[in-house]
Order: sequence, then C-alpha cells, then structure tokens
Amino acid sequence: MSRLSLDRLEKRYGDTVAVGSVSLDIAEGELVVLLGPSGCGKTTTLRMVAGFIDATAGDVRLDGASILALPPHRREMGLVFQSYALFPHLTVARNIAFGLEMRGTPRPARDARVAEMLRLTRLESLADRLPRNLSGGQQQRVALARALAINPRVLLLDEPLSNLDAALRADVGRDIRLLQRASGLTTIMVTHDQDEAMAMADRLVVMKDGFVQQTGTQEEVYERPATPFVAGFIGRANMLGGALSDGIFAVEDTTLHLAGRYAATGPATLALRPERLSLGPPGPAVPGSVAGTVELASYLGAIREHLVRIGPDRRIVVRDATAGPARLHHAGESVAVRWGVDAERLFDAAEMPLMDLNPPGWSVKPGHSRLDAIQQQQ
Amino acid sequence: MDAAGERRQGAAAATFLAPATLVVMVMLMAPLLLLLRFSLNRYDRTELMIETVTGANYLRFFSDPFYIGVMRTTLAVAALSTLLCLLLGLPLAYRLARMQSRWKTACMLGIVLPLFIGSTVRMVGWMILFAHGGVIDAVARWFNGRGMEVMYTSFAVIAGIVSINLPFVVLTIQSTIETIDTRLEEAAGSLGAPPARMFWRIVWPLALPGTATAGILCFILAMNAYATPYLLGGPRFQMMAPLLYWEFSTNNNWPFASALALLLMTTTLLMTACANWIIPARYRA
Repeated sequence: MSRLSLDRLEKRYGDTVAVGSVSLDIAEGELVVLLGPSGCGKTTTLRMVAGFIDATAGDVRLDGASILALPPHRREMGLVFQSYALFPHLTVARNIAFGLEMRGTPRPARDARVAEMLRLTRLESLADRLPRNLSGGQQQRVALARALAINPRVLLLDEPLSNLDAALRADVGRDIRLLQRASGLTTIMVTHDQDEAMAMADRLVVMKDGFVQQTGTQEEVYERPATPFVAGFIGRANMLGGALSDGIFAVEDTTLHLAGRYAATGPATLALRPERLSLGPPGPAVPGSVAGTVELASYLGAIREHLVRIGPDRRIVVRDATAGPARLHHAGESVAVRWGVDAERLFDAAEMPLMDLNPPGWSVKPGHSRLDAIQQQQ
Repeated sequence: MDAAGERRQGAAAATFLAPATLVVMVMLMAPLLLLLRFSLNRYDRTELMIETVTGANYLRFFSDPFYIGVMRTTLAVAALSTLLCLLLGLPLAYRLARMQSRWKTACMLGIVLPLFIGSTVRMVGWMILFAHGGVIDAVARWFNGRGMEVMYTSFAVIAGIVSINLPFVVLTIQSTIETIDTRLEEAAGSLGAPPARMFWRIVWPLALPGTATAGILCFILAMNAYATPYLLGGPRFQMMAPLLYWEFSTNNNWPFASALALLLMTTTLLMTACANWIIPARYRA
C-alpha cells in the first residue's frame, strides 16, 4: 500500500508531446482511471510509471521517494496488460509463481501464496493448464493473480477489460474492483471506455492529446465538465457551436433559450445532456427551450430516443426513460425541447466553462416547476 | 462428414498430390537407391565397378582408423561450428528482432548481403586473410617477427563454416524471436526479473524451437561442407565431403564413394534426430 504521485510528468518525442506535464496524487488504496481516446497519452503515462518508458521531465514518487531511476524490475509494480502477456510455456500456477521465484521466496511460502491467489481468482481447478487452453476471462484472472501475487506497491491496469466479451466485462470489472478494495492496493487503470471508467474509478483523469483535461470524481466530470471535450467524452452531449448573448444562444438561424443566466457574450459552445432534455408540445420561448420537429423516434427498451431537428441542418438527441409518463412522438411532429440548468453547460471561446449566475437551487429539475409555472400562467 | 465423404476427399487429395509426389520420388529417391546399389558393388582398378552384392566398402570404412578419424573430425567441426554459430547468432538475432529504428533494415541487409556472394568466393577472401604471407600472417610478423600460420588449421575451417552458416542461423532465430510478444518481456520485468534472468526464463525457452531449427540447419550444412574444408583445410585436414569427392573423381572408386555418401547422410540424420529428441516436447515447433 503506497501513495503514488506524478509530478509534472512529461514525455516528448522530438517536437511531439506524447504526455505533457501530468500531475496527479493518488492516495493509498485509491483507484484512479486515466481515461481518453487512443493517442491521448494515457498508456504512455502508465508505461512511464511502470518504467518501460523514460520520462523526459518530471518525477514519479512512491511514498515520497522518486522511483524514476529504478529499472522496471525493481519498481515492485503489479502490471496487468491488455493482452495479458501470460507466459505461454508456463502453467497457470507457474505463471503466478513467477514473480515470487524472481524474489527468491522459499518454496513453501511460494506454494502457499500461489494457492491463495488461485483461490482468490477461482482458478484452483486450472492450476496445471497452459494459458492457451484458457478462455479470455480465465486468462485475465491469471494475469491479475500473477500481478497481485508479488504484493505490489502499486497495481497498474492497462485496458484490462478491452479483450473480454461485452457480457463478461461488467462482471470482471466488479471482480477486479472487489479484489483491489480487499487488498487496499493503490491502482492506476488506463482505459478508453468511459462506462468501464465510470464503473470502476474512485477518481477519473480525463486526458486528450497528452494533457489532462479534468481530474475529479464521476459526478464532478459528468455534472461539471471542465472543457467541451470532457462534456462530449463523459456521457453523451449534444454539442452546438454558436453565439451567446443575454440568455439567448444563437446557432445560425436557430435560437435556443438558455436555462441559466450567463454574464459573458460572444462565441461559445453549448453542451446539452440528451437524457436531461424532455419533449413537450410547442409553446412559448421560455428559458431552457428550443422549438423543433421530430425526425426520428426510437423505442430502445429502457429509453426512448428522439432526434429533433432544431435548424435547417441542426439536430439534437433527446433521451428519456420509457418508465416516465411521456409518449413516443411521431416523426414530423412539432415539439418544444425543454431542459433545466443541470442539462446545459456553456464554454466560452477559450473552452473555459461559463458559470450560471442564478443562485443555486433557484431552478429545479429539468422542465418542471419553473416551466410549468410559466405554462400555467398562460 | 461421413466416412464415404472423407474417403472421396482423400481420393481427391491423393489425385492432386500424386504428380508432385512422383517427381519427388523420382528426383530424390532414385539417386539414393542408385547410391545404395553402387555402395554394394566391388571396385577394381581396371574395370572400375563390378556388379555384386558385398558389404566390403562399409567394412573398409569401419575397419580403417583413417576413415573413422575423418568422420570424427567432420562431426567435431560441425558440432563446434554449430555451437559457435548459435553463441554468436542468438544475441545478434535477439538484438535484430528487438530493433525498431530504421537501422533495422540496414542491419538486416548486412546479414543477408554475404549470401549474395558465392561461398567459394568468400572462401578466397578468407584465404587472403589466412594464407602464408596473408593479412593475419603479415600483421603477426610485424608484431612478433615470426608470423602466424592460420591457413590449413581446424580454426581456419571452422571460421569459414561459421561465416557461411551464421546468416542462416541469425535469420532463422530472428524470425522466431519476432513472434515473441515484447509484452512478455515487460511482464517478466515488472514481476522482478532482471534482463538476464528474463532472457533465460522467457525468451530462451520460447525461442528454443527456432534455435533448434537453426542449429540443425547449421549442423547439416557443416557436415556436408565441401568448399570450405577443401580450400581452407588443405590436403592434410580431411573432412567427409572432400574425401568422398576425391574417392569418386580422382580414384574413380564409385562403390566406396557411394558408401561414404550414405554413411555421411545416415550420421547426419541420426544426429539431427537425436537433437530433436533432446528438446522437450512442449517446445517443439
């Protein structure tokens, strides 16, 4: 169990920045997920921590002591690879024992530890199999058992679930999370899959082009994305580029009435969460609304999805739960899309988020009391 | 598939394979059978080959310490040059396989390029280096005043064979190492294996099939080497291939030459089978 901190960690290849100044403090037993699209530098960061790539600048400290000068085999990190990288010529038990053998652990202690890991990962019956005779999920568990057997100071997970069937992924993810919790291991996980990240992390680090876009809990990055990229990458968002002036957001000839009040004017980006929008009959231009026409309506089981055209070539997606009272609209129907302050997030031209000037709690949930009140007045 | 279908497919396969099989049989087996037949004949100075069935040629080989000695020299030279090729080739192949820069192409070319020149021509190069009054001799003379005789020694022959076989060995092993995922090496590292132990525990066992193939290839080539021992070994350093050619062309003793050829082939095959048998089953290619 250790504290890990990355201090302005940087990797350059000539003029290209692979990782630019990543700073991160990971508490004991915390699971931090580095999340981003491919090429965002998340894997490079992980490999620098593991020692496979030399950092250009910055430092990696484990319990306060720099480990940058240590070769990988002396860093005591448990690493689970995306491809698992199991030794194909060794049985499951020998794979798990490998790290202990390298440490010179005496035979009885080694056997006991291997047996314990086999039990923990429910692999007892497969101990004498070769990796090629295992399923993907079983191989994954061997990789995890092998990494945990050495009691690493830090656990590093490189896209641990991406080679598994979608059906297995959630289960295995939960298993990993439980094991990690039980052993209290400080962990960094790298993934491009936001669902995986949301499900497993204590804290998320969203990266793009080598730079950290935002660090925070799931709720923080979802509710208060720091950049338009985060708004689009975490969860879904309708992204609209337009001009902001006095409560009105204009996208070419389409006018959206914002739910919040903003001091800034000028070019801006609006992100609207589809699942926080609702559809209603066309009505007056109240705050948090835009008029449109339904183009596509799909019933997807748990949710309904409407594609609403709000401008000549401008569409937004509205998703709501089928459990709610609303109905599926027909294509061609005229509607008003409505939302509350928590559905919208505005960014200025410099991609900085704009703050709603309304006092908190002034506006309640999307399209309800305030909107209903106005409608009732009419 | 039912049994009849399988049979039908088997028959179709046999039809397609028949011409090629026939060609191989005729081209490969016929000369060998001929050789076997010749080796049982008797040699006469005036009539050359007299048809009969006798084991005299084989008896002569096994009863004459000279021929046994030549076979022993051949085996020793082949084994030693195979060992040297593997010792030199393995690290070279590993470095080459793990290279990523644009130098890799250049280095690959450097390995392959010698193969573009005939082995006899390359031997002439070695002769210039080794010969009495050659480069090594001249340099040594400049240092110690006595010079150094390298030509016509076992060292010269082994150096020549290694230089010819090394590219094959490197290329064979390198292609095997290329198939070993570098993540395995990283995994071993992260589990606490320093590079040397990682190589021994992970790369070596996984590269063993390719290394064995390379070794066998090298051994067969060395056992049958002709130009190298002939040019660099001279008349006193006898190996099987030059000896049997000499029996065949100079002595015109076809029966005995045939017996030598079959004995050389059998020995090589036996050694190869042994090598394959030593390698644990799970590593076999």
